[in-house]
Amino acid sequence: MARIVVVKRVLPPSLSILTRFLTAFIGFLIAVYITSVATGLGFSETLRTAFESFLDLNVFRYISVFLPIALGLAIAFNANLWNLGAEGQLVMGAVGATYIALFTPLGKMDYIAPIASLAFAAIIGLLWALIPSVMRLYLGVNEAVTTLLMNYIAYYFSSYLVKGPWRGRGVYGYTTTDMIPDASKLPVVPGYSFSWYIVVTAFVLVAIVYLLLYKTRFGISLRALSSSIAAVELAGISSKRLALAAFCISGAFAGFVGGAEILVYHRKLVEGSIVGSGMGFTSIMVAWLGGLNPIGIVISSYYTAALYRLSFALQIGSAAIGDALAKSIIGTLFAATIVAEFVSKYKIVVR
Amino acid sequence: MNRTFIRVVDLYKRFGDVVALDGVTLDIFFNEILVVLGENGSGKSTLAKVLYGVYVPDRGKIIVDGSEARFSSPFDAKKKGFVMISQRPQLIDDLSILENIALFIGEPPSGTLAKRIEDFLKRFDIGIDVHKKVFSISYTEKQFIELAKALLINPRLLIVDEAATYLPQDLKTKFFEILRRFVSDNRAVIYITHKIPEALEIGNRFVVLRRGKVARVFNGAANPSELRHAMFGTEEYLKLVSRQLLQRLSKDSKNVLSVDKLVVLDDYGKTAVDGLSIDVRAGEIVSIVGVAGNGEKELGEAIAGLRKASSGSVKIDGFDVTKSPPSERTRKGLVYIPEDPFKEGTAVTLSIIENMRMYARERLSQDVVLDAIKKLGIVPENPAIQVSKLSGGNVQKVSISRLLLTMPKVVVAHNPTRMLDERSRALVLDILQRFSLSGGGVLLITEDVDEAVQISDKVAVMVDGRIAKLFEGGNLESFRSEIEKAMVHG
Ligand SMILES: Nc1ncnc2c1ncn2[C@@H]1O[C@H](COP(=O)(O)OP(=O)(O)O)[C@@H](O)[C@H]1O
Ligand SMILES: [Mg+2]
Repeated sequence: MARIVVVKRVLPPSLSILTRFLTAFIGFLIAVYITSVATGLGFSETLRTAFESFLDLNVFRYISVFLPIALGLAIAFNANLWNLGAEGQLVMGAVGATYIALFTPLGKMDYIAPIASLAFAAIIGLLWALIPSVMRLYLGVNEAVTTLLMNYIAYYFSSYLVKGPWRGRGVYGYTTTDMIPDASKLPVVPGYSFSWYIVVTAFVLVAIVYLLLYKTRFGISLRALSSSIAAVELAGISSKRLALAAFCISGAFAGFVGGAEILVYHRKLVEGSIVGSGMGFTSIMVAWLGGLNPIGIVISSYYTAALYRLSFALQIGSAAIGDALAKSIIGTLFAATIVAEFVSKYKIVVR
Repeated sequence: MNRTFIRVVDLYKRFGDVVALDGVTLDIFFNEILVVLGENGSGKSTLAKVLYGVYVPDRGKIIVDGSEARFSSPFDAKKKGFVMISQRPQLIDDLSILENIALFIGEPPSGTLAKRIEDFLKRFDIGIDVHKKVFSISYTEKQFIELAKALLINPRLLIVDEAATYLPQDLKTKFFEILRRFVSDNRAVIYITHKIPEALEIGNRFVVLRRGKVARVFNGAANPSELRHAMFGTEEYLKLVSRQLLQRLSKDSKNVLSVDKLVVLDDYGKTAVDGLSIDVRAGEIVSIVGVAGNGEKELGEAIAGLRKASSGSVKIDGFDVTKSPPSERTRKGLVYIPEDPFKEGTAVTLSIIENMRMYARERLSQDVVLDAIKKLGIVPENPAIQVSKLSGGNVQKVSISRLLLTMPKVVVAHNPTRMLDERSRALVLDILQRFSLSGGGVLLITEDVDEAVQISDKVAVMVDGRIAKLFEGGNLESFRSEIEKAMVHG
């Protein structure tokens, strides 16, 4: 009788990377197929549009979101800390940036305004992440659950602000704040919806995170946390402080992105679910697809950004279809990520 | 006349740049216990894993009963009647003993099976409820469960990879009896070890591996000196372990470690350390010897901060650290070498150099790293290799390397040499002696009476969580039989 057996294996790094690329490519074809069925466009037509979205400069609009968040998450995940709250940290960052831009004198000062807004956004994101990490480290509350739930608190909090105390005077029926002052806005590339400032910052973060994780005692110990907390402690490094720092960095990165979304894209605070629009969740997957490695994450965020573009480039018919499409593409990506993880660690043999 | 059961022909296996088996040829006869000896990293476990189908060799053949056998997994090997027990128990923690065994032998976990297992264990005075989850049983119990599991499928070849090496002597003797009885009837045992005395105790024939090659085969009698030469090419290292007391203790050197009336509970809430006090002065080596299970593990962990003390205190270099986490104790000048380098000593997913960078407070130059690798004889010498890829003894050496990379006031080491071959053991004992000569204090918690009497100023015997007897001064080696008696009888 033939039996199917799953066997553990260790692939050399080159093959492991190849496997990831292949799975990503297959995931891509499936995504294109789903899209073509859903939109009624021919497969080849859809494929062409898909390739175009890889070459479209507007991928940077999404890369500037996914890349920094996924980098931050990689720091936490490398230490075995389950920060599933990037979405909420992003939204709170957006709230923080809006506060500085709209409600403090700093918001009207050239140069200072965007820097102050982004810095404050990062701080708020950090503090939002600090709550679940303190609960985990000092009260033993599972951080995966708290971070996940806190996303919704952030959603409701920002929705409350835009419907209540922060609601703009000139916005008629809309639930948003007023526009932020011009001094706070970051210039976008004409015809596109991203800012080179943020893109450049994101790539600087890649280098910083890489050096941090692989070249410093801090980063090495952080990565050691996932195999042995005792080994880290016995080396004289406080595992609690490490975990706290990892969590805070990931929160700060997500908060920064939230701030950037306000200064570059929305230019006013909107309801939480619109600011985040699930991109904080998607970033979790981007981090894993990139193998929790900063360089890998550059590639995975580019790939994910391109497919995101695709789902919007093909938006015909109602917004509901576009949204459903985006979700199914993300779902496909998610499945591809899991398959890639599996295939690079196990093989299936029939005997 | 010896009849050949298995022929291993020209086996070759490499991992990346490391050649683990380099043309190994050997015969295994019926009715024998063949000992495979070799230093840490010589390829013993790799040979075992090839025979058990875990690894597929790059080249070479395994001939069983005259025809070639090809294994692509342990499943195939099991069908041929080959079973392996290794140093680290391969049981599933969340399942019961019964379920684990049932899973392995492919029977339902029935009452009759439970009875068979219990009968088997009772023969060795191990009365244990087979419905217990595996995570709640001790290492020794696990190894006997492994043995029961292996024997219940009635194998023809039993491969024992250092599985008995870490058992207490009385149980080891029982383990050996089972092996001797097992081989009587057209079967064979391959017994893998790095310990020469153990090899001589159990083996009928001896194969010495060195750097992946068969260095020498002893058909019949062997003596320790010849085995050492085959294993290491030298016996010189024996000279390293001699007493170097040299009046290194000035009378008024201060305590670097004070343990006062310490009470510590074990995992089940029973008192494991029962009001124990001991001091270690700068420049002194104090040993605590005891049979495993008398609270030494809990004592070490409580000093390191890995386990809470119920009462009493621990002071390092004068600072009370009883309530401090391990990291703070390390910063105060403690280095703790845990017994299990895989779980607590190293981060196995990181490379050798990354682990060393974690231990050291300052940035390490490549030279310092290479020097530590040389001094401890870590193989392979490549610092970028992942620790999980090293053989067990070498993982332990990585864990010990922190002694060379930091400047502690006191070292507490729990069974630091038991995973090490004789030469590596000598290197490590030498490092401990040098450390004490330079003014550091050492607390050596060990089951190995030899090393305790060889390098210590004082030997304390621990029984039932207390110091039963303290030996000091003069030639401790002369107290050896008294020490051994105290370990058993208190
Ligand atoms: N899975 C692996 N990947 C890489 N190297 C390995 C692996 N297993 C063993 N080695 C290397 O092969 C050599 C022999 O190891 P091993 O057979 O475990 O030695 P030992 O004689 O101590 O049991 C060592 O240098 C070890 O680092
Ligand atoms: Mg081994």
